[in-house]
Amino acid sequence: MSRSDLLQGSLDLLILRVLELEPLHGWAVSKRIRLLSKDVLDVNQGSLYPALYRLRDRGLIESEWQTSDEGRRIKVYHLTPRGRKALVRERRSWRRFSGAVEAILQAG
Amino acid sequence: MQWTRDLARRCRALFRRPDEREMDEEIRLHIEMEAEENLRRGLSAEEARRRALAAFGRVEDIKDGVRDVRPVARVLGDLRRDSRVGFRSLRRQPVFSLAVLLTLGIGIGGNVAMLGVLDVVLFRSLPYPEPERLVLGRVTYGGEVGRTVSGPDFFDYRERADGLEALSAITPFPVEVTVTGTALPERVSAPLVSTGFFETLGVTPASGRGFTAAEGEPGGAPVAVLSHAYWQRSFGGDPDVVGSTIHLDAVPTTVVGVMPPGFRFLVDADLWRPIQRGTGWAAARQFHNFLLVGRLSPGVTLASAQGGVDLVSGRLEEAYPDTNEGKGLRLTPLREALAEGIRDPIRLLLAAVLLVLVVACANVAGLVVVRGSARRSEIAVRSVMGAGRGRLARQLLTESGLLALGASVVGIGIATWLQRGILVLLPLQTLGPLTAGLSPTMAGATAALALLALGLFGVLPALRVARSEPALELRSGTRATTGRRGVRLQSGLVVAQVAVTSVLVIVSGLLLRSFFELRSVDPGFDPTGLLTAEVALPSGSYEDATDRLRFFERLGREAATLPGVSAVGLVNRLPVRDGGDNVRVAPPEEWGAGGVFERVAYQRMVLPGYFEAMGIPLLAGRDVSRTDTREAPPVMLLSASLAEELSPAGDALGRVLAVDVGTDDPWTAEVVGIVGDVVPSSLAAGTGHAMYFAYGQRSPSSMRLAVRGRVDRAGITTGLRTLVASLDPDIPLTGVATMEEVLETSIADRRSVMTVLLAFAGVALLLAAVGLYGLMAYHVSRRVHEIGVRMALGASASGVAVSVVRRGLVLVGAGLVLAVPLSLVAGRLVGGMLFGVGGLDPWTYGGAAAFLAAVAGLACLLPARRAATIDPMEAFRAE
Repeated sequence: MSRSDLLQGSLDLLILRVLELEPLHGWAVSKRIRLLSKDVLDVNQGSLYPALYRLRDRGLIESEWQTSDEGRRIKVYHLTPRGRKALVRERRSWRRFSGAVEAILQAG
Repeated sequence: MQWTRDLARRCRALFRRPDEREMDEEIRLHIEMEAEENLRRGLSAEEARRRALAAFGRVEDIKDGVRDVRPVARVLGDLRRDSRVGFRSLRRQPVFSLAVLLTLGIGIGGNVAMLGVLDVVLFRSLPYPEPERLVLGRVTYGGEVGRTVSGPDFFDYRERADGLEALSAITPFPVEVTVTGTALPERVSAPLVSTGFFETLGVTPASGRGFTAAEGEPGGAPVAVLSHAYWQRSFGGDPDVVGSTIHLDAVPTTVVGVMPPGFRFLVDADLWRPIQRGTGWAAARQFHNFLLVGRLSPGVTLASAQGGVDLVSGRLEEAYPDTNEGKGLRLTPLREALAEGIRDPIRLLLAAVLLVLVVACANVAGLVVVRGSARRSEIAVRSVMGAGRGRLARQLLTESGLLALGASVVGIGIATWLQRGILVLLPLQTLGPLTAGLSPTMAGATAALALLALGLFGVLPALRVARSEPALELRSGTRATTGRRGVRLQSGLVVAQVAVTSVLVIVSGLLLRSFFELRSVDPGFDPTGLLTAEVALPSGSYEDATDRLRFFERLGREAATLPGVSAVGLVNRLPVRDGGDNVRVAPPEEWGAGGVFERVAYQRMVLPGYFEAMGIPLLAGRDVSRTDTREAPPVMLLSASLAEELSPAGDALGRVLAVDVGTDDPWTAEVVGIVGDVVPSSLAAGTGHAMYFAYGQRSPSSMRLAVRGRVDRAGITTGLRTLVASLDPDIPLTGVATMEEVLETSIADRRSVMTVLLAFAGVALLLAAVGLYGLMAYHVSRRVHEIGVRMALGASASGVAVSVVRRGLVLVGAGLVLAVPLSLVAGRLVGGMLFGVGGLDPWTYGGAAAFLAAVAGLACLLPARRAATIDPMEAFRAE
């Protein structure tokens, strides 16, 4: 799947999901998505940062500046309780959506 | 409450601008991490970074993306970014930016200044409550509006006219009295007003009271109300001044009140005195000495008040046919009446600044066209590289907006400075105090003009970019080029500038010629080496005419013995300096019949030797002499033109004539001499009829000295002061001025209007010259290659230069041709302000054209030189 095919809503879901695993900074979020998708999903930074800011504005994630192990200032994003709830909702709706798509593909 | 917090955050987010620094840092972090990852994969440091950057995509795009999350913040952010880019781009072209700022600033500033002047003069200068109910009352003769109304007529209108809540009168010309009893005898401005004057205007004294009705009747106690400034100046703000007694022309007068600071109506006054019905200046219906100011009753229209006044006029005509036949009273809203007086110069100057603005806009538009074409390929490249057209257009618009903003600032600066200058220079008659300064009106006008300019030179290029086809632009060549249309547009702009400037130059030229014509008017006497001054005897202590005669005879005799003085003349009104006092004169048998020999002439009372001292030739008969006393038969002298008209046969000498002196029966006197004509009032009015009477027979209390001498003015002045003080220490010598100064003052109004207009014309000329220079320079720079080819083919340097100048002059010629019809209209419009020169004066037109051509030639000279020095080899190499 090329990055342009990544559905808008699904990127939000993916970000929320990887941040559920652990708080990460922006670069690590894109890295983690690529890793977990086994190099299939490559998130364009041009979409990533707007999505991060959007999610933060909606109160689903929060960010704070931390110092990394190498002593570098990094901006780390983590899920808020609202984000956690949203993830549950999004995940459920994504499952229903992909299940429906799968059912159509397997029909006949 | 969850949802309220949520809403609050969303609202905040809507407006909050993402922190740019934070965003930058985050992106840098991202790229560094990507680069490190690449390094770990074994790439070279440089390659690692390059790939990281490439993977990230355009930083600005991503930032845009982030910003897009917030709509309002996005717009603000764009604006900020565009402004920054625009500012940078403007700074890269300082000459262009400065030229636009100054040009537009001048255009805007001039207009805002004139609006400011109007604002001050017409709108802020009525510091009275409910000024819209105030009307000015002026006399009409057969429907033609004159000026002053007679005292008895005023009292009749005040008592009988319906529709007016109050009606008052004031002497609108300088009326002075000598104040004694204070430290120094002092001559002050003391207009006469009717008793309800302050009440009509709705202003109450700051301390004390106004005038009572009884004080306006004959025999009323002499009282005065002081102006705040005079009270401060001469009484040190003494709170006990109310109730104290001062001497006005030796008459003990009680100070009854002090007006609040800044109170003023039409004339600068140090104190006001009440008119007493039927006395002095209000004695007769043929003495027109007062301007009226009235307050309409609430709810009454101007028309119905005028109707009420007309009824009274009709009744007065019936009752007093001798004096009131055809006479009426016209009410005009005060504001409107004020505007009348200054309409001509203000209109002229307003038109001039508008023209300057037109030239300025044309100039800026020309600059923008040049710059636009220079930037066309830049814009095309950016457009191909993916910048949206909307975005590019917005960028251009932002740049123009920045320029307009800067120009407004420059304009406001120029405006406040210019407004003050114009207010000082112009002969403005206003009611209240003149206070310059930036007003909301001016600020609003600035904004409007800046927006207009922005629309003119900002929006159009932006639209052009939005519509343009970048691919075509790029294909059309490597060099920046302007299409035929651009050049034509620019040439058109230059032609328009030249045309408008020509109009300004021509009108200025007409005024300039008028001014010099006026200066060269022969006043009828010799003004060089003539010092003038005024001596007024207080009527209280010089009630007896023989006392006055004795005083002035002695003054004249002793002044003539002062060192350096060769002659001394005494007259009650000096030519040019003091006009007024013109009355009817006719053969006695025609008196009152309005016969063919009735004339109006200026009457003057003189002591023997006046004509000789002034250098007015005695053409026939004799001067007045010491033997012309009250016991001797009355005598008079006529000016040559009056003698000619009254006695075309040339037999004026020895005739007896009747003169209106305000009494029922005229004064009759025998003509004993004829003297040369003089200019009695203003130079523009030219010579006028005059008649002279012997001071021994008619003796006013105030006289003017005309002292002819060779030594320094200061020496003679001191001598005169000492002399007057030795005759009577209570009498001041006032109004000392050389006759040449008097002549200059009399044309000072015209000089100031002309100066302002000349300045505007100069600015327009400068702008047009710069515009022409810019066009020609650009023209040459675009054709370097072509000129190089021509020179390589044998064209001479001078030939090339001539062709450039010729091209410029063709444009100027076109502008001049266009200017002719415009100037004809303008010349007609200023006709009323011209003197001794027609609105179509060919010399002025020719001179202006030659002058403009010369300036244009100069503007073309530099580009022509540049063209002539083009080296063909270099021109080719530049390709």
